[in-house]
Amino acid sequence: MKVQLNRSFPMPVRADVAWALLQDVEGVAACMPGAKITERIDATHYKGTVSVKVGPASLSFRGEIEVKLVDAQVRTLRLFARGTDTTGGSGASMDLTARIDAQDAATCNLVGDSEVSMSGKAAGFGARMMGPVADQVMKRFSANFAARLQAMQPSAPAAQAVEEPAAPEAKPLNALALVWAVIRDWLRALSGKRRAQKPE
Amino acid sequence: MGDQSELKDREDKLQGMGTSLLRKEDARFIRGQGSYIDDIKLPGMLFGAIVRSPYAHARIKSIDKTKALACPGVAAVLTADDLKPVNLHWMPTLGGDVQAVLADKKVCFQYQEVAMVLATDRFAAYDGAALVEVDYEELPAIVDPKLSMAPGAPIIREDIQDKKEVGHGPRMHPNHIFTWEAGDKAAADAAFKSAPITVREEILNPRVHPCPLETCGCVASFNKATGYLTVYMTSQAPHLVRTVLAMLSGIAESKIRVVGGDIGGGFGNKVPVYPGYVVAIVASIVTGVPVKWIESRIDNISTTGFARDYHCVGELAADKDGRIKGLRFTALADHGAFNSHVSATKLPAGLFSICTGSYAIPNAYARVDAVYTNKAPGGVAYRCSLRVTEAIYLIERMMDVLAQEVGVDKAEIRRRNFVQAEQFPYTTSFGWTLDSGNYHAALDKVLKAVDYEGLRREQAAKRADPNCPTLMGIGISTFTEIVGAGPTKVCDILGVGLFDSCEIRVHPTGGVIARLGTMSQGQGHATTYAQIIATELGLPASDIVVEEGDTDKAPYGAGTWGSRSTPVSGAATAMAARKIKDKAKKIAAHLLEVAEGDLEWEIDRFKVKGNPGQAKTMKEICMVSHTGNLPAGMEQGLNAVSYYDPPNLTFPFGAYVCVVDVDKFTGETKVRRFYALDDCGTRINPMIIEGQIHGGLTEAFAVAMGQQIPFDESGNHLGNSLMDYFLPTAVETPAWETDHTVTPCPHHPLGAKGVAESPHVGGIPCFSNAVIDAFSHLGVRHMDMPHSAYRVWKKLDALGLNKR
Repeated sequence: MKVQLNRSFPMPVRADVAWALLQDVEGVAACMPGAKITERIDATHYKGTVSVKVGPASLSFRGEIEVKLVDAQVRTLRLFARGTDTTGGSGASMDLTARIDAQDAATCNLVGDSEVSMSGKAAGFGARMMGPVADQVMKRFSANFAARLQAMQPSAPAAQAVEEPAAPEAKPLNALALVWAVIRDWLRALSGKRRAQKPE
Repeated sequence: MGDQSELKDREDKLQGMGTSLLRKEDARFIRGQGSYIDDIKLPGMLFGAIVRSPYAHARIKSIDKTKALACPGVAAVLTADDLKPVNLHWMPTLGGDVQAVLADKKVCFQYQEVAMVLATDRFAAYDGAALVEVDYEELPAIVDPKLSMAPGAPIIREDIQDKKEVGHGPRMHPNHIFTWEAGDKAAADAAFKSAPITVREEILNPRVHPCPLETCGCVASFNKATGYLTVYMTSQAPHLVRTVLAMLSGIAESKIRVVGGDIGGGFGNKVPVYPGYVVAIVASIVTGVPVKWIESRIDNISTTGFARDYHCVGELAADKDGRIKGLRFTALADHGAFNSHVSATKLPAGLFSICTGSYAIPNAYARVDAVYTNKAPGGVAYRCSLRVTEAIYLIERMMDVLAQEVGVDKAEIRRRNFVQAEQFPYTTSFGWTLDSGNYHAALDKVLKAVDYEGLRREQAAKRADPNCPTLMGIGISTFTEIVGAGPTKVCDILGVGLFDSCEIRVHPTGGVIARLGTMSQGQGHATTYAQIIATELGLPASDIVVEEGDTDKAPYGAGTWGSRSTPVSGAATAMAARKIKDKAKKIAAHLLEVAEGDLEWEIDRFKVKGNPGQAKTMKEICMVSHTGNLPAGMEQGLNAVSYYDPPNLTFPFGAYVCVVDVDKFTGETKVRRFYALDDCGTRINPMIIEGQIHGGLTEAFAVAMGQQIPFDESGNHLGNSLMDYFLPTAVETPAWETDHTVTPCPHHPLGAKGVAESPHVGGIPCFSNAVIDAFSHLGVRHMDMPHSAYRVWKKLDALGLNKR
């Protein structure tokens, strides 16, 4: 079960500041709701967890991240993440290419192209919600990323940004809340369309 | 007069063959007092929960049990390594292959068994299973059987990759299982070359699952002190399983007892020996306590015997009047990752060669290529009589395709090709001898009952009306199927012949107990076998107890599947009863001081010819047979056992008509009428037959109209729970109209043929033909099942029929 996600998020900082944060794998993980880096094996290999709650049931994915490419010239990062849910019922993997595109002196875009694969129970049961839920996850992520960038902004050369205090407690990803967000957005889109169709 | 009513009274008291005796087993089922596997509680019993693979194809790098073992209540965690010392990490299958009991180094289908956790209660077992950490390395999966034999395809079965054959002839590729052929290819090819009309169609029988209400499971109990193994198991064939267990475990077969109690539906899903059973048995042997393993619904749909998955090409060659001169049917069979379904050693593609159906086809050729894919193992299941559903679906669909090509009515094309009544016994081009039948009479009766001409007129009128909101379709299915496996010279499983048995003991006061080698999963055996004995012996059916399923008590048999109980064990019952009757006649002659030739049998007694006052009832003889007042040299008792090796299979047939109205805008199909005429020879209990027909038709409706087991490209199951899998309820299920003709089977002692699978075999093509017929005036010749509203809507949309 594969899903392609291609999204672009505007960021309120200079491109090189955003790039600095993007290269900090632990910092990036902190922006992903429910995620945590548990071990740094070397500069390109990490172990981490992502927790997802669906009502009373939790899935806790345990896996590895491999940073495949870091190209400062084009501010592009490519990483591959793979994990299984600790109950053994599901597996997931993601191939992500992220880059920073400068817009102007003070803003840029965080552009992500990813292919996410699910297997096991998550694929069988979650498949139908995967696209919209993944979109919601990316929205949250980009909001966290932007907030973190804002916090870094006022002072700081890139070096200081890396010495940020430890990531906040990784709260599990609440999937039901995401599903509600999907439904809410869809309803909003519907009423938006209706408004547009009203004769002037 | 008085005589007649007295005779009728005595007959009614027996409630023997032909009466709609209410089922004896229903009282306990309705009260919730059946005894199913999950009802069994034994002291000290542990629960087993299976750890399953989330990937369809992967290497196992490591398994870490520490967290699971630390979980409260968990007693042990078994993996393949724990089974190696007893050489049970692999087991032989009923299909001549081997199957992993617990995955050793690699998994080949999603949800494959990797480990079993044993705990003191079922919740602790599931918690423990969630804590077993397995490290997988994912491999590319093969999901499309057409790609299984592609050059460079990933090898699924590395364990047999060097083997040149897996039980059924030479293999051409590591993912190839066997190729089976029948008939005369040269003759068929010649017929096609010279025929003015040929049709060809690609027809899919999608993968579906019987989904019985009760899932599979067992309670295994090994007694270390006595060395005796007892296994309570959801098995349709307890004796075969006992033999297999003896071969696998090394325990003497006389020290193994398999018990099939009440089973909540089998439909072929409960024939194979599943890894869960084997691990539970090993666990019990190792721990010395009973071990229970029972599946969840998702386990059952995802991993146990599925049905069909035949990708077929049907070809017919005919003259200009539509008389068939040649048939070529080929199938690519997706067996999943292991060839595990029940398979007679000489017939790996089951009875697919019945695909000439009810028709006299002079030149025929069939071929099945079976391959492995990364899906659950199986193939033969779901009321299919061993691939007969696949075969009959193909021929009945092709008859409609041929009719459309030739421009002949779909009922008429069948009449032109039927085996004529006077041609029986008729040997088909594949070598099956159809012993009896009357296809014209059956079809005529059905067409008259539904006013076929009127329906075709109505359809024409609706087609001419552009404002009609529905498409009307009429489906016909005139099937002959093949059941009652089978003669030992043709059919055996792992060498054991498919005969069956009945042992009858008559008590002094006239009660009877009969034990048989078949195994009811709801077919009503406790009632029907009693009726056979009641008529044969003249003792009331209410006093006759029928037992099956306990291998310690019942005589050897091959179990119940493929509609074989009535043809084989029903025959054995009659034969055993007749042995007793013969002995009773001798006793009666002795008591009445006449010669045997002077006696005649009347309902429940022997009467002296010409002297009606002189008679002895069977009831009296029961008591006398336990005394010394017997002919010289005769032993006491009225007991007999019969092991019956049938001379041939049986060929029940039928004619079905289905009328549907397809909504042009939603694709929803309403079944307006379904008329089913079945001929199963002599009818033992008409009410039970009707119940079987209703059940088979409902399952046919499910398969044709909504069931499927889809996979994505990585081998993930999509739709393996009742959230998606279509089990019809009373809301969707059409009303059934049933009818019958009786053409007794000449080689069966009772003339009976068996009936339970016919409605499924004949029903599926009938629904399919009806839906496709609704579109046939637009040139549509075939649409693959299932005909769910969405799939039919896509066709309507493509044809632009849903525009106002």
